Amino acid sequence: MRREAPPPNRVIGLLVLVAGLGWWLLATVSVAPNRIVPGSPLRAHEAAGWPAALALVLALAGLAALTWRPARRRLWLALALATLLLMALPAWLALAATSSVDPSLPQARLGLGAGFWLLLFCLSLMVIELRTRLALGLSAGWLLVAAVVSAWWLASPWLEPLALMREYQGRSDQFAGALVYHLLLVGAAVGASLVVGALIALAMRRHSAIERGAFTLLNFLQTIPSLALFGLLLAPLAWLAANVGWVNALGVRGIGWAPAFLALLGYSLLPMVRNTFVGLSGVEAGVLEAARGMGMSRRQVFLQVRLPLALPVVLEGVRITTVQAIGLAAVAALIGAGGLGTFIFQGLGQAAMDLVLLGALPILAMALAVDSLLGALTRRLDPRMAAGAPA
Amino acid sequence: MIELRDVTKRFGTETAVDAISLRVAPGELCALVGTSGCGKSTTLRMINRLIEHDDGRILIDGRPVREFDEQVLRRRIGYAIQSTGLFPHWTVARNIGLVPRLLKWPKPRVEARVEELMTLLGLSREQFAGKYPHQLSGGQAQRVGVARALAADPDILLMDEPFGALDPITRETLQAELRQLQSRLNKTIVFVTHDMDEALALADRLVVMRAGRIVQQGTPLELLREPADEFVASLLGGDDRGLKETAIIRVAERMLPLSPRLLPQARVHRDATLRQALAVMFREHADRLAVVDDQDMAVGELSLRRLVENRREE
Repeated sequence: MRREAPPPNRVIGLLVLVAGLGWWLLATVSVAPNRIVPGSPLRAHEAAGWPAALALVLALAGLAALTWRPARRRLWLALALATLLLMALPAWLALAATSSVDPSLPQARLGLGAGFWLLLFCLSLMVIELRTRLALGLSAGWLLVAAVVSAWWLASPWLEPLALMREYQGRSDQFAGALVYHLLLVGAAVGASLVVGALIALAMRRHSAIERGAFTLLNFLQTIPSLALFGLLLAPLAWLAANVGWVNALGVRGIGWAPAFLALLGYSLLPMVRNTFVGLSGVEAGVLEAARGMGMSRRQVFLQVRLPLALPVVLEGVRITTVQAIGLAAVAALIGAGGLGTFIFQGLGQAAMDLVLLGALPILAMALAVDSLLGALTRRLDPRMAAGAPA
Repeated sequence: MIELRDVTKRFGTETAVDAISLRVAPGELCALVGTSGCGKSTTLRMINRLIEHDDGRILIDGRPVREFDEQVLRRRIGYAIQSTGLFPHWTVARNIGLVPRLLKWPKPRVEARVEELMTLLGLSREQFAGKYPHQLSGGQAQRVGVARALAADPDILLMDEPFGALDPITRETLQAELRQLQSRLNKTIVFVTHDMDEALALADRLVVMRAGRIVQQGTPLELLREPADEFVASLLGGDDRGLKETAIIRVAERMLPLSPRLLPQARVHRDATLRQALAVMFREHADRLAVVDDQDMAVGELSLRRLVENRREE
């Protein structure tokens, strides 16, 4: 008996096509003798020779072939292949660096071109697509990420000529400091907004007048552009710092961490309050009535029933807030708040795109990591999702 | 024993419950029936003080409910509702053990009690103890709800349309189980429903409410035979009342001893209702039935004439 063959996986096919064309037609890297001179673009075979360029095209073709008849075993092989490719990319970059960068020029550098970015992007999407098709759990996803990251990390000594690495080496002390500062700023703002937001949400549940007022105010706050809000905070904070002793002693100034913290807090409050409020109010009435009817005290109802049932929604608010704050904190660099945004604005000022990337890539990675971690935590806490489908 | 004396509840200007008096004897299952908004749920919820009454007195074993601490009162009254109100983030076992834990029973005793109740309600421990409510069918969830209400072995059980959301077959199964359970446990139960068949099948006493007042109360048979007014008569099914009556009388109560006449082929079990006997007669075109016991041995006979006559001498 002939079995009905599953249809080809079009997503992978399309991604392979895009990645392959980009790899072949666009510049994969550019080589520059120093930081100032714009680099000369090189295509794949020009950068690291024909064998490596062809090997990658072959591997991409293999991916397309494996998913043409997507049986489960072939999808597994395709996932392994795509992951291996992602892990092999730093090796190719190292090869490109040794063959195209003149070692006698200490400032010579290798920039990443559109073709390379496209390949990286398409391969990542393929891994995500295959993971979804194979219905792999979260831990498998993290394992894949860990494998790829460690491959890049292991290859890093050979990637020194990479422009990104050059920029990093010039600022490695600053970088660690900026990263920690960025995280601290976001952590403090989100932590404070969680506390303040929870208090506001609780007050709103007590008095409906507060509910209307608070939502109006927070919605309004959300509509102010971030730069404008930083600007608005500048004058009052500067005045406070000049006239109130203890505020000054805290280190509050018109610019720096204080306005950044307050602005981040302001933007974080709306999603935090909204989710906390909706979470607490959204608990099914029958459950609460049963809880009271069984003889639980108000405190027990709140702590054992309402709060745990609201927690997934509250955590969702923390997730939205944190991701948003990680991005917004970059803008705060403009008012001297420091953080990874410093590199972005420095890079923009010097037209050094690799320096911009040095700031932007960690922000992106942090946002993705937080998003996925908190998302996983939310799902764990919700028994309806954690315990599987209904029997 | 539960006693309500001239109990009134007003919501704003509207009187939801209007000076009703009611007495539920120990071990009695009292069903409150009526159209929606007649105040039956409000009455029920005033007993465990989820709603506070405005006037009159509500006594439990002779003591006004207001004298109890709210939580102490509720912990000694079982409570089951239509939506089950099971905590979705707790397992079945933890849900059932709620009130014993609130009462600070030692852990082994709570566990033993949970196991006992799961057996009582026909829920296998291995299969269900670790499940979450969303993994249960409607009937299973409602069994857990009843088990939870019974957990601390309360004398009194309040049930607010507990089977209202179930499909007809599951509902009948659970009604039968409740009847069996009640014959063993002898709780004092106040049961709110708008399903008249359910009320007739379960209740020792039927209380018909309308617009916050009690229109009539009595045994199901009394109400079926002597409805106080048009409203009660139509609520009880209008012309279908006779059929509803046959549904609560057993064949064994009405059959005659075996006569020397030839036994008819058509047969009916002695524990069947007269309604079922009528159905058998109708289906088999017979006006006489043999009444049999569990071993299928004839123990009596029932004729159509016997079935319909003399009913007022019951």
